Amino acid sequence: MPIIDAHLHYSHDAWETVPPKEAIAILRKAGLKRALISSSGDDGQQRLAALAPDLVIPELRPYRSRGEIGSWFRDQSVIPYLEERLGKYRYAGIGEFHLYGADADLPVPRRMVQLARQHKLFLHAHSDVDAVDRLFKQWPEARILWAHSGFDRPEKVREMLRKHKNLWCDLAFRTDHARGGKVDADWRSAFLEFPDRFMVGTDSFTPERWYYIAEHASWSRQWLGDLPKDVAERIAWKNGENLFGGLLAQ
Amino acid sequence: MIRLLLGALLWVCASISWAQVLDFSEAETRAILRHGPWPSPWSPDPTNRVSGNPAAIELGERLFFEPRLSPSGKVLCATCHAPFRGWQDGRARAFGLAETDRNTQSLFNVRNNRWFGWDGAGDSLWAQSVRPILEAREMGGSQAEAAALIRRDPELSCRFEKTFGAPPPADDEGVFAGIGKALAAFQETIVSGRTPFDDFRDALEKGDRQAAARYPLAAQRGLKLFVGRGNCSACHFGPAFTNGEFHDTGVPFFLKGGADPGRHGGLKKLQANAFNLLGAHNDDRSGSSAVKTRQVAIEHRNFGEFKVPSLRNVAQTAPYMHNGSLATLAEVVRHYSEINPDRLHAEGESLLKPLHLSAGEAADLVAFLESLSETSSALPPRLPSTACR
Repeated sequence: MPIIDAHLHYSHDAWETVPPKEAIAILRKAGLKRALISSSGDDGQQRLAALAPDLVIPELRPYRSRGEIGSWFRDQSVIPYLEERLGKYRYAGIGEFHLYGADADLPVPRRMVQLARQHKLFLHAHSDVDAVDRLFKQWPEARILWAHSGFDRPEKVREMLRKHKNLWCDLAFRTDHARGGKVDADWRSAFLEFPDRFMVGTDSFTPERWYYIAEHASWSRQWLGDLPKDVAERIAWKNGENLFGGLLAQ
Repeated sequence: MIRLLLGALLWVCASISWAQVLDFSEAETRAILRHGPWPSPWSPDPTNRVSGNPAAIELGERLFFEPRLSPSGKVLCATCHAPFRGWQDGRARAFGLAETDRNTQSLFNVRNNRWFGWDGAGDSLWAQSVRPILEAREMGGSQAEAAALIRRDPELSCRFEKTFGAPPPADDEGVFAGIGKALAAFQETIVSGRTPFDDFRDALEKGDRQAAARYPLAAQRGLKLFVGRGNCSACHFGPAFTNGEFHDTGVPFFLKGGADPGRHGGLKKLQANAFNLLGAHNDDRSGSSAVKTRQVAIEHRNFGEFKVPSLRNVAQTAPYMHNGSLATLAEVVRHYSEINPDRLHAEGESLLKPLHLSAGEAADLVAFLESLSETSSALPPRLPSTACR
């Protein structure tokens, strides 16, 4: 089954250790149809996109190095960086960014949301419920991909999906939804209620984890096989294709 | 007058002794006491019916130093686990028939482990003990060759019968499991002795400040960091200074053309291993020992996680980390002091934060780690070897 991996990073410390050609070979060997990739800084995923435009869906991360995870939302210099990159390159979204609670209403995240609106991009938010709500309040028509489904309980995830019709969830770095190829009952209910709103993802937060992408794809295929075929296909790749493919075509 | 002078001298001496014990808070004292007493109580392994059996210990010792377990005749368990080097080899990465990907762990107190190996691929000491025999880069042997050796060698065969109450069986797997269990029985005797830290800890427990004052001040300051700001004792917990679990500590884990999967790969190996505790060779008929193996789940976070090693005798077992990438204790302390949080997942190891220790603090922490070295061996005396009858 083809897979769209909706949560990959190719950050500065990966460029030397997993060179672009090798990175693309890893993605193809894993049987990925597409991969949503962001980098800290942005040059990494641009290198990959140049090598494999059919495969790489570029996403703009507001970090120039991964160390900015906890500081970017108060750092005014992030904005000119985003503006410069958005002026130069094409992206499907902005993210993955880490943003919690009331920090979502700080000036830097607010301006980032305006930029996403202006460029018609989705937001990839590693956030809690509160921050997701605040982002939607700033831009009610926003399309948000909720990284790791907020590491929240399936009941809460369903509640959020009911509340926000433009919210999608990635399942990166979570294992609670499936074990031994079997889908957890609560998560099954979530997948069946919202088959169009979930995607899988590896989260290559360190360069070594590029060597986990194939393993993750194979693990995903196992548990997806426990779902009705049409639901499995949507989560595996069709939802990603619908969301990102459309944005790329614009 | 003389009495008065003597009294004053005693008072001065006592004051000096008192001054040499740092002021540990109640919370710090509680944390320190949790690292003892030593030696900690131990009972034989219920999964190994010959655990603690003197005949098994003797057979295990012979097998530990038996080069014929490797068809090359050149590699024995003690090649990597050399008794005179803290039961490891002093190399960055182990070298049996070829260089492996990981550092050799010391066997000191190996009996206290819950999981075995850097990746926890073994759920018992006996299962872990036969793994290197089969590894191509370690001893390069096979079950069949090892079993044949036991059957054809009169001394080993006799000792096997003495240990297990029956001659080596016809099935190779049964003999191989027996080899593992005898090797385990021997390794269970490799216990480290008491250390200056243990004396300090016990003195603190008894309220004997005079005895406590014998513990060097630098080590005391390092201990304060260890249980306090450093938060080291969160993982290096208990009398053996390990929680026995697995963590990503920000050490790169690339291998040539890939990455060392660590605990993730270990769990896959564990599940596929015929010698795991869910298999037929587990001697614990109650089933309780196998619960951990049945319940342990593979998670994405396990990729690149490695076991928290014990710190007892740590000064004797350089180099450090799963791949031996840090040569000295000072380098290990620097790694944690300047740890790169970017390498850790935002939802992951929040315990680990850069400590930014001063040079003095780093030296104190090293002094504390060095105080975990035994002052005398706790190994049982070796008996003269006599032929098996």
